[in-house]
Formats: sequence, C-alpha cells, structure tokens
Amino acid sequence: MAEMLRMEGISKQFGTFFANHDVNLDIQEGEVHTLLGENGAGKSTLMNVLIGLYQPTAGKILWRGKEERISSPARAVELGIGMVHQHFMLIEAMTGFENIILGSKVNPSFTIQESKDKKKIQELMDRYGLEVDLDVPVGEMSIGMQQRVEILKVLYRGAELLILDEPTAVLTDQEVEGLFDIMRSLTSEGKSVIFISHKMREVTKISDRVTVLRAGESVETLKMSETNGQELSDLMIGHRFVESVYDKVVAADKPMLELKGVSYHPNEKHGGLKDVTLTVNAGEVLGVAGIDGNGQSQLAALIAGLIAPEEGEVWRNGQRVSIYSPDDFIENGLADIPEDRNKMGLVGDMTVAQNLILKETTSDKFSYGHGLWLKTGAIQEYANEKKQENDIRCTSVNQTVRSLSGGNQQKVILARELEGNPPILIAVYPTRGLDIGATNFIHDRVIAARDGGCAVILISADFDEVLKLSDRIVVLFEGQVMGEYPGVNPPIDQISLAMAGK
Amino acid sequence: MATEATAQAPKAPKVNKFGVFQRDKIISIIVPIVSIFLAFVVGGIVVLCLGKNPIEGYGYLFSGALGNAGRVAQSLQSACPLIFTALAVSFAYKCGVFNLGGEGQFILGACATMFVLETTGVEGVPGILLGILVGIIAGGLWGLLPGVMKITRGLNELITTIMLNYVATLLMNFMYSKVLHDPDSGNLQTMAVADSVVLPKIDRLHIGVIIAILMAVAVWYVIYKTSFGFKIRAVGINPTAAKVAGFPVKRLVLLSFVISGAIAGFGGSVDLLGRQYRLMTGFGSGFGFSGVAIALIAQLNPIGSMAVALFFGMLTTGASSMQVGIGVPSAILDIIRALIIIFAVAGMAMMKLPTFKNLLNRRPMDQEGLMPPTDTKGDDGSSLKPEVSE
Repeated sequence: MAEMLRMEGISKQFGTFFANHDVNLDIQEGEVHTLLGENGAGKSTLMNVLIGLYQPTAGKILWRGKEERISSPARAVELGIGMVHQHFMLIEAMTGFENIILGSKVNPSFTIQESKDKKKIQELMDRYGLEVDLDVPVGEMSIGMQQRVEILKVLYRGAELLILDEPTAVLTDQEVEGLFDIMRSLTSEGKSVIFISHKMREVTKISDRVTVLRAGESVETLKMSETNGQELSDLMIGHRFVESVYDKVVAADKPMLELKGVSYHPNEKHGGLKDVTLTVNAGEVLGVAGIDGNGQSQLAALIAGLIAPEEGEVWRNGQRVSIYSPDDFIENGLADIPEDRNKMGLVGDMTVAQNLILKETTSDKFSYGHGLWLKTGAIQEYANEKKQENDIRCTSVNQTVRSLSGGNQQKVILARELEGNPPILIAVYPTRGLDIGATNFIHDRVIAARDGGCAVILISADFDEVLKLSDRIVVLFEGQVMGEYPGVNPPIDQISLAMAGK
Repeated sequence: MATEATAQAPKAPKVNKFGVFQRDKIISIIVPIVSIFLAFVVGGIVVLCLGKNPIEGYGYLFSGALGNAGRVAQSLQSACPLIFTALAVSFAYKCGVFNLGGEGQFILGACATMFVLETTGVEGVPGILLGILVGIIAGGLWGLLPGVMKITRGLNELITTIMLNYVATLLMNFMYSKVLHDPDSGNLQTMAVADSVVLPKIDRLHIGVIIAILMAVAVWYVIYKTSFGFKIRAVGINPTAAKVAGFPVKRLVLLSFVISGAIAGFGGSVDLLGRQYRLMTGFGSGFGFSGVAIALIAQLNPIGSMAVALFFGMLTTGASSMQVGIGVPSAILDIIRALIIIFAVAGMAMMKLPTFKNLLNRRPMDQEGLMPPTDTKGDDGSSLKPEVSE
C-alpha cells in the first residue's frame, strides 16, 4: 500500500492554547483510519487543518509524498480531500442532483448539462453502492440517504480521501451496516477514509488502523487487529477506564407520570406521536430507545408541558393534567434536562450563578419580597456550593455559562434541575456530545436521583446508554411505542428490530 | 470565545474576585469614552478644514454648555427627554425588543397630556399628576400596539414601531392644527399649558430632570435587581430557554413593549410641562432615534444611558455658542455626534474580534475544564463548521 497522506508535527495554536500539538497522522491508500479522542482532544482542529480551514502553526502536510500547503478548502478539494460533516451541508429545498453539482467545478459548462452530469453521478452510485433518488428534494429524503448525497457530493468532486465526521450518530443499525459496506467498497478501490466516531463498537468493527488523540496530541497509532476496545478507551482517556455498572430495580407500582393514548400530529412520521401509552413509576428509569427523529422531541416537549396533546390524557402523580404550560409542570415537580442544552436549557450570556437559580428568582432564599430585590450574596454562595458539589469546572460562577465546556454546561443544568429532589425527571439525550468522564458523572447523578425515589424518563438515541440506565425500555418508532422490554437481560436483537420498525 | 484569562495578564497567577469579569466592564466604560475623544479629534479636523481653530471652538462649546448655572440648567433640560427615550430603548432591548418607536410614544404621551389638561382644565399639582399619568398611559398603549402585532401576528417591531412614529406625528399635527389650535397664533401650534401645571423649577432647572435621573435609577433597579428584570433579561438573551424554564415569555415581551412605551410617554409629558409648554411643529422630532443611539453607545446600561444623554444634551446647548464663537455651522456637532456613534459601535465590535481577545488573554490557559477557543469546540457539535466551498 502506498502512503496517501502524512501530517507531520502539526501544531495549531490559538493565543497560547494548543488545540493541536505535534500531531502525527499518516493515511495509507485503501484504509479506514479512525481518529479517536474525547471532546476537545483536537480531532476537529486537525481535520480543519487538513481541509484548509485553518493554517497550522507548525508542521507539514505531505500529499502523496509531496509537501503541500493547503491554503483553502478549495485547495483541499483540488488535491482530492473531501469531508462529510456531522451536520449535513445540504440545501433541503433542492434535489439530490442539484445539491451534488452545486458549486462544483467538475463540469465547467456555463449551463447545467443535466444528463451528462447525471450519468457521471449514476456511475459513482453504481460503483460504490450509493443509492440515492436524485430527483427528490433533500428535505424529503431519509437521513441515511441525505448522508449518501453528501458522500456523492465529495466523490463527484474527485475525492480520494474522505473524512467522515461522526457519520453513524444519526443512523439506524441497518443504515450503519449500509454505510460500512459503502466504506468497504470505497477502500477496495484504493480510496481512503478517515472515520471519526465515539462508538467503540463501530470503531473496532470497521477500522484498519486507529490514531488516538488526547489533549491535542497524538498518543499512538495502532493496527486494529492488534488492539481492542478496552485498550483504546484507556489510551483515549489516559488512564484505566472503569465504566460504572448500575443495578436494575423493579419499582413498586406507583405511577408518577402516565401517558394514555396520547397523539400529537399523528400523521407525521418524523415529528409526531401516535397513540402513545406509557407509565413511569417512582424510583425507576424508563428508557425510551429509538433512532433520532421518531417523535422523541415531541414526546419530550409534551412531558415538559411545552405542547399539549391533540388526543389522549397525561396523568401526573395520579391526577389528570389540564394545563399544558412549562410553568405549571415545573410547579408540580417536573425537572427537565432538555434536548438542546444551549438552546433550551441555558441562557448562554448569563452567568453560571444566574443559570443555577434561573427558576428560583422569586424564592425567599434568593430574593426579598418575592423577587423585588435579588440577594446577590446568597446567590453567589449557593452557586459556589453547587459548583463544588457537582464538580462544575469554571474559574468563577460569574463567568458566562457559554464559556464552559459541554460537560460542565450539562452539570449546571443537572445541578439546577435535581435541586430539591424533584419527583419526576425527564432527561433527553443527556450525554450527547459529552466525553466519557462527564457522561459517567451525569449517569451517576441520574441513577442517584432514581434511588432517591424520582421517576426518571430517559430519552436517548444512544442505545448503549438506554441499556445501561433503564429499568424498563420502550421503543419509539415513527411516533409510536413499538413495545416494552425489561431492563434486566433486555432482548437486544428484538429491540434493535423494533427501532427499525419491525 | 472563552474568557479564560485575567486583565492583569502576565503577573496574576490566579483570577481574583474581579478578574476577567471586571475587565469586560472596564472595557465597556472605556470604549464610549475613547469614542467620544476620537470623535472630537476627527470633528476638530473638520473644523480645521474650514479654516477655524478647533481648540477655540471646543472652548466655546464647553463654556456655552457649562459656562454658568443657567447654561448648565439648559444643558440638563436638553438632556432630559433624551434620558427618557434612551431608557425606553434600553429597557425594551433587554427583553430582545428593538423599540424604534420612542419618538411616537414620546409625542403621543405629550399629546395625551396636552389634550387631557386642555379638556378637563384641572390645574395645579393635581393637573400635573393627571397630565403625566395620562401621558404614561398613552405612551404605554402606543408601545402595546406593536407588541400585540408582534406576538399575535409575528410582525417585526422594527417596522411597526417606525410606522407608528409617523402616525403619532400626524396625530400631533391634527392636534395643533385643528383640535387645540391656538387661535391667536399664526403658527401651527397649540395654546400653552396653564402656568399652574408647568413643572416646578429649582432655580432655573425644572424638576423633570430630577425625575429623569430617578427614572434611570429605577430602570437600573428593575432590570438588574429584581426577579422581573432577571426574567426580562433571560427572555432577551434566550427566549426558548426562558420558555422551557417556565417563564411567561409572551407576557414578558408584551410588558416590555408597554413599559418601554410608558417610559417614552412619560418623557413626552415631562418635556411638554417642563420645557416646551405647547405642541408645535417639530416637537419631539429626532428624540426617538437619538435615544437609540444613546442607548447603544451606553451598551444598554440605564445609568450609562443617562450619562451619555447628559453629554448629548450638553452638545446641543453648546452648539450655538460654538457657531457664534468661531463661525462654524452648528452641524459640526451633528457630525461629532454621528462619529461618536460610529466609533462606539465599531469599538464594541472590535472588542469581540478573536485577535483582539487573544491580545487581552495573554496568559496560558491553565484552568481545568475551561473551553479552549471556540474553534476547537467542534466536537461538541456546537460551533460552526463552515462548508467546504470550492
């Protein structure tokens, strides 16, 4: 195998901070090379250097043995480097075909030569098994197909090296298999893939070699055949990683939250709920598994009181809910770890302290006269206490919450929501985008809340997370509950099938 | 971008109690001051180009504005309406509402005061109180209108508030040309308000100025010290999170429209009863937009708005002295005012540039758990990932 790319001693400095420090990476022709690392380990920076968005502070890049300065993304494309971003860069109103040719210089003709271009795209599709409906607007495609459009887009531009940034995050198990097939057919033709993922199961399955990054430095490059998941995890976090294991409980039949035949926009496959019935008892975790975009957001919004069901009833602590407003739900003991922490959970430009007391500003503890004068001192003191308790890492509680890392932001939300032992907790994708350490911390806290008698409903697209935490599991598919399964020895194959609607 | 270092960069080993957070505050005070200085320098160059001596000119400007007690009083009184309109803008903007209708609300407040005093004929202190109350209500209602349109129909308040300014101006026109037209005057104006409802004066200074200053303190208190203000600010920064946190977002937005309008209407009443005494062509003209500029220069801080408004009032009063003194058009002062705005806005934008922040953050990042500069945040999925364009 010939060497395709070599990045030598790459450093990227921001101010005095090194996002990458002396990183080495080499890619052979025809391999799947995984880039593994926690958040902030420097994966994105390294890739941004490679595709010409950043100029490295030091180090050099050799492309097929020749030193190159990748001065712009356009230059990277010229060389044959293409990136499929985690968040797709597609225009939803345009068709697959239009998205693929958009902005490309492959066909220099002034007019769009549709049949000629399509023929070329069709060839690529046949060659690599990329099945795409070219004439359908991207917005109407499944996520998997959108991803294939993205891959076609970079192949059409002549990419030899494809960078796939967390490509499996949004896919079903079957779609992941399909993607892996595509990756294999790409590498068999001598193209190479840089695969970025957190999911160890997938990494061990598809990689030829793995480069581990930690704190901006490349720790080691290993052949997958000579290593295993445990070793990679240890390398990634820098010490032996011990994952917590939680006991499963069978809670007493004390329903805290019940949904009875609830529907919301029932005809929408990816944004509705259809006749959903489920119960969460005090002192248990009900896990809602399913692929992203099967009604999870609506279920979460409904339980938080943000939307009202069109049909069906919601019962809370034995009483039927009549008012659907977040205010009322919070009043009745709902704690909410929302789906999007920056957008829904935190007021980014306010301080850590202010975010910690966000819902409590009229309480006697933090103000005189029900909010007429805020007690700055008491707020500070409380915030510092919570900072200690929850290991929120910040220089000061008067720092804007925006400047914290994702894991610490989530800890702020958790600290706020779990204050005063709420009877009901809804956690939606609570560890999305967090590193292993923060994930473990969040899991510990959720389980501690459960053990304290809280009824927890966990909605997550991370199947492993659902399996790890849930005492009971339901599967959501196209807005419907596909079945209920025990948390102890869950029938994994059955649940996987249910997640795909079978 | 993370604010991870202290102002006292190389020396300080630890972030002290104030540290980096204090630094941002200091910057926000320094920027307007430097902007004013630069504006005067550039304005001086313009004066030089006209062949006059800028130093001498500025001498006349300041002596004209502050030379004796009477001039100081006049400066303060010119500032008074600007304080109100600037506070109106600041308050609304804190809730994410861009109220450009300060002028209309100001005018309508004055119209309502005039109308109620002329029609009821209430005199003395009750007349003043009644007039001001009606002015506040009218301003509030004029603010409520665009608020309702925004909340129920999603109409952009930038447009509706400006449009309502014209409506208010024409309503006032109708007042002074028809309804309350002064028959003894050939000009288009109303009769003057009765002497007994003119705001009391301390020496030559009407008490409206004191009311304006108290108002600034009150707005500061509400925004920064109460739970209500806290919620208003939260809604202004992130309405979605505020909604999830159980805040009545729509009600708060609507209230901020009303309060903002009420403040401006209050200003209109005060200016009518304290300084102008009658409605006429040009009453309140430009105050709304001056208010916007002042609030932005002061970075929406109520106390800062008051300070900047006082300065603008001074410029207005000193302008004619400068004109007479060295024979340059008083429009020079308009140029300076505009330059202040440009420099202040540019200055604040510059402070947000990554290169500039890096200059300030010269200390190595040694605090655990802090975000590295935004660019590495990609793993979180939260930072922007530019498209690979060709």
